Parts: sequence; C-alpha cells; structure tokens
Amino acid sequence: MISNMLRFPFSMLDNEINSLFYPEQNQGSARSTYVYPPINISTTDTKVDVYLFIAGMNPDDIELVIEKNMLSVSGQRKLPEVDQNSTVFRQERFEGRFKRVITLPETVDTDTTQATYKDGVLHISIDKRAEVQPRQIKISAQ
Amino acid sequence: MTTKNKELTTQTNNAEVATITPATDIYESKDAVALYVDLPGVSKESLDIDVDQDILTIKGTISLSTPDNMQATYIDVQANTFERRFTLGDELDVNKIEAKLDQGALELTIPKLEQHKPKKIAINVA
Repeated sequence: MISNMLRFPFSMLDNEINSLFYPEQNQGSARSTYVYPPINISTTDTKVDVYLFIAGMNPDDIELVIEKNMLSVSGQRKLPEVDQNSTVFRQERFEGRFKRVITLPETVDTDTTQATYKDGVLHISIDKRAEVQPRQIKISAQ
Repeated sequence: MTTKNKELTTQTNNAEVATITPATDIYESKDAVALYVDLPGVSKESLDIDVDQDILTIKGTISLSTPDNMQATYIDVQANTFERRFTLGDELDVNKIEAKLDQGALELTIPKLEQHKPKKIAINVA
C-alpha cells in the first residue's frame, strides 16, 4: 500500500540499536520512531480518506501531486528560530524535508480529490468511481 | 541529548488508556522556558493544559471528521489522545504561562520569576 512501509523494518532495527546504546531515549519520542509524517488511511464504500499529521505548517509549503494512482505529499518543515544563547533540553520535533507516497486503489476517481488542512492535519478525500460504488436496486412488486 | 536540568524531566505516563507522547522541543533562555509541542489534529477546544503544583500536564484529543462505517486501511497514529507531563522548576512563574496553538503546533512560554532572572550589577568606578 505504501512505499515507505518497506522502510519500517529498518527503522525498527534502528530503534533497537538506539535503545541498546541510549536506553534513556527510548521513551516513544516521535523523531526517530516514525517515518514523517504519520499517515492514517480509511476506506468506505464510497471514498478513500487519507490523513497526514503535519503540525504547524503553512499549507503553501505542502506539495500534493497525483500521478496516475500515486499520491505524493512532500514539503519542508521549518521550526521557529531559537535564540542561539538558549539551552536545549529536548529536540524531538521533525525538521526538514519530507515525502510520502501512497498508492491509491484503482477504484478511485482522482478528479474528485479534495484536500483541506486543519488543526495540523492534511485531509485528502477521494471518491471511488461511480461504477464501483455499491448500488441499491429497488424491487418493484407485481 | 542529555537533560541537564533534572527538574524539567518527563514524568512517566501511567495512563491506562493508550496515549501518544507528543514530540516536544524545550529551550531555556535567560528569562523564560519555551516548549513547542506537536499536537496534529488537536483543536483549541480539545486541548487541556493544566498546572498542579509543579506538574504541567498537556492533554489533547485528536478530532478527525471520519465517516461512519469506515475501514482502517493503514494506521500510523493508533490512539486519539496526546498526553505528556513535565515537572517545572520552582524558578518558573506558573501564573504567567502563555499558550499559542497554531495548526496543531503548541507553543508554551513560561517566564522565570523576577528574582531568578540574571541580573547585571553595574560597577561604579570610584
């Protein structure tokens, strides 16, 4: 379903190794555990909804491209600048370029794609093609 | 990434419900401590920030407009609640915490008490 899934085994191994050497860091912090940004995908009979959890972005800095049935979301996340004289206690938030590619099922009609960015979640909604949606057939009595 | 200040360490999360520990950046400047917390999906209404004595708790619920009878096809975010606790040092003025939430990114500024801010003493030339 998702090309990044292929990277999961390796990032898990990374975490295993990290936890051997830096046990105190193994507290479920998001920076090293996940491929950024995390994604949820849900499907109904009529549409596919993709949610990307990218907090604090300007939607203009997110690029959304659909080519055939590949949906790719990329962008650059910049964090607010911090005074150089500050002491750093924790730095877990993702910073930098990100990209995730999702293979959509053949049954969707990408012309119907809608995308909204609210509360730091990019929600992409794509309808399934009319001919694959379930239809209810009325039975006439004779 | 070692925490020098013992008083700003994270409390272990004993909640029974599965919660997500939100990614957090913490910086200390001369006169304040700033926390930046990623809470994607959390609106102003579903965010709770409270201070009980020296424990700061940040808790937010992810509210997504998910359709009924949907099937989860792929899930990275498995819980719908973010929660994290921090112990605040007593040099911080908890009555003057400022919070700003913009597109799921929370910025908390906690100023230091006046008596704990560094002071420069002018030296008079005799």
